[in-house]
Amino acid sequence: MTSTETQAGSITRTEGGVLPTGEREFMLDVKTSDLEINMGPQHPATHGVMRILCRADGELCTGAQPHLGYLHRCAEKIGESVEWLQYLPYTDRYDYLAAMNNNLGYSMAVEKLMGIEIPRRALMIRTICAELNRIGSHLIAFGTYGLDIGAFTPFLYMFREREWMMALFEKICGARLTYSYIRIGGVFNDAPPGWLSEVERFCDTFDVKWQEYVDLLMVNHIFVKRTANVGVIPKDMAIDFGLTGPMLRGSGVDWDLRRDEPYELYDEICREGVFEIPLGSGERGTLGDCWDRVYVRVMEMREAIKIVRWCLDNIEPGPVIADIPKTLKIPPGEAYVGIENPRGELGHYVVSDGGKVATRVRVRAPSFVNLAVLEAIMPGTLLADAIAIIGSTDIVVGETDR
Amino acid sequence: MGLLEKQFEENVLTTRVDWLLNWCRLSSIWPMTFGLACCAIEMMAVGCAHHDIDRFGAGAFRASPRQADLMIVAGTVNFKMAERIKRLYDQMPAPKYAIAMGACATGGGPYYKYGYTVVKGVDRVIPVDVYIAGCPPRPEALLEGLMKLQEKIQGSSVIRKPARTA
Amino acid sequence: MDFRGIYDRLRAIRAPGLTGCDEPRRPNPEDKKDKGRFGDPFVLVEPAWLPAFLEVARDDERLRFEMLIDISATDPSAEDEHLWVNVQLLSLTYKHRLAVKCLLPKAAPVLPSSVDVHRTCQWHERECAEMYGITFEGHPDPRNILLPEDWVGYPLRKDYVFPEEYHGISCK
Repeated sequence: MTSTETQAGSITRTEGGVLPTGEREFMLDVKTSDLEINMGPQHPATHGVMRILCRADGELCTGAQPHLGYLHRCAEKIGESVEWLQYLPYTDRYDYLAAMNNNLGYSMAVEKLMGIEIPRRALMIRTICAELNRIGSHLIAFGTYGLDIGAFTPFLYMFREREWMMALFEKICGARLTYSYIRIGGVFNDAPPGWLSEVERFCDTFDVKWQEYVDLLMVNHIFVKRTANVGVIPKDMAIDFGLTGPMLRGSGVDWDLRRDEPYELYDEICREGVFEIPLGSGERGTLGDCWDRVYVRVMEMREAIKIVRWCLDNIEPGPVIADIPKTLKIPPGEAYVGIENPRGELGHYVVSDGGKVATRVRVRAPSFVNLAVLEAIMPGTLLADAIAIIGSTDIVVGETDR
Repeated sequence: MGLLEKQFEENVLTTRVDWLLNWCRLSSIWPMTFGLACCAIEMMAVGCAHHDIDRFGAGAFRASPRQADLMIVAGTVNFKMAERIKRLYDQMPAPKYAIAMGACATGGGPYYKYGYTVVKGVDRVIPVDVYIAGCPPRPEALLEGLMKLQEKIQGSSVIRKPARTA
Repeated sequence: MDFRGIYDRLRAIRAPGLTGCDEPRRPNPEDKKDKGRFGDPFVLVEPAWLPAFLEVARDDERLRFEMLIDISATDPSAEDEHLWVNVQLLSLTYKHRLAVKCLLPKAAPVLPSSVDVHRTCQWHERECAEMYGITFEGHPDPRNILLPEDWVGYPLRKDYVFPEEYHGISCK
């Protein structure tokens, strides 16, 4: 069988050979052209409302173009229209799986302009909440990735731990998903009595359940076969595309803002060597493939528990919010603060002219930047692998579109 | 129901048949996977073991609109998405229902005032049967919304003629 | 390196387009109206030289800003006649950051595209273009990315008027 490429597609011609069954092949001139397949915006496997136009030559994907904007909610315009503290609930809603981290990023950017000091107990509670939310976010990434690949059970198992985590957050701030708990100057209120011991119980249980997740999905033969050597992102492509977070660490680049540009309590935590930064190593396939990225996320869950335990050991009573006025007037200037979101570097660039309302709140969303790499790595893969690649980028469309 | 729909006068037999048909419909409402934003996560939580929507018969989330009865619009609707929502709703076969879940789908939500691309409520695009408040609503609230929809279906007349108001 | 070290190095290697810098300062106690400037320092670059500047910053062995974190734009106020383009750079090797700012005239906001230097610019520049009306010359794909294709106006400008209606759906 020969195949020639033309501009319109490819022409496959079968010659008169003999098949293994003994029959003779009959001569056919089959003209094929590339098929354009539309994935989404409503689709079970895109993580939210996103549209991906794939061009496929048979089973081989020859091009992919993500289309965004189906969840554009004008967050940056709202940042210029409402007061500083009123913007906080909107920060929850861009990366709704890791809402505490979004609150933290915005609060830190504004606090940098104000130049205030946050009380130590507030920093401890902030770190506990951010790391617990990191676990919650990675659980969803892991569970829904299994769902995309075809494994339904890890999804249900993952929600078991996530319900407990959401119950913990409900006890401390009243909300299950969009918290608005980490405020400018500290946190909203102190942890209720018994909360810290319940977090400790969660940590003890999670250590056992974590091994279940590894055994169930991560080292599962079928899962490894479907994700190893698929969607390989080489190191220089990762840096050129501005990838951060598990996408970058899965390709072997050792960069984590918590250790390399420490904020809040992380310089103390890193000095004491509490946690490690997992890196992809090409263990099951090529360096930078989908399995490496899943590996980084699963290992990060275990490291997050270590950070939470350190905070529980070192927390002391004290105030939980700095003394700031009710109506905030932030001094003029501009500041950029990037924090390590579960998906990458979440940056807030805040410009103030001294008033009650911001001049500009720019959100550098990691999912937006991570999604751009799809255009470069999808061509050349099979269509079935396209789902595996999209799932491994772990995007949240609230963040890509803001 | 085609030829039989709304043809018969109200009597003991048609009431019983209607009750049976409505009971069949409300006990197996199959939603379409239509999570748009944060409310989608609470919808996923409802589908999972802790809150379990499957005990209401509504656990089979279908990806295709042609196989679904219910569209739970979970999340913010913006103009780009509104046209797709209309198209998907039109593809669903009757009887079809829509639940507007969350503040954004009900009336624009927190993006009401300054969201230039946000549609202020999905009822500007499709007819909605039940509205659920919350941002995001608790999974129990979504289940209560589903039960309200079941009450609505229970009261509908399928083969009976609809009640005439004088 | 701290900001002063980076700025001196940029001056020493004659980085193209560099016009100056701005650092935070305390308010002047004698002037009641002066509230000072807080936050981060930044360098000012001529818009026409931005890609060349980014290339030099990426390749110089003491600076090594391999990763471009963000390109965005700001409209400081309705009365101001300039738009700002802000670039955030990160060096993975030396763990330092740099903020770059270009001032563009609102009447004709045009500058060359930096897609050849960092491929991540492609989507960031598309977003700036549709939100502020900035034209990036040489951009391979200048379509709208977040807004619908036929959206009228530049939403993030301070003088933007909210639409009344779109495709039959009321905006009120």
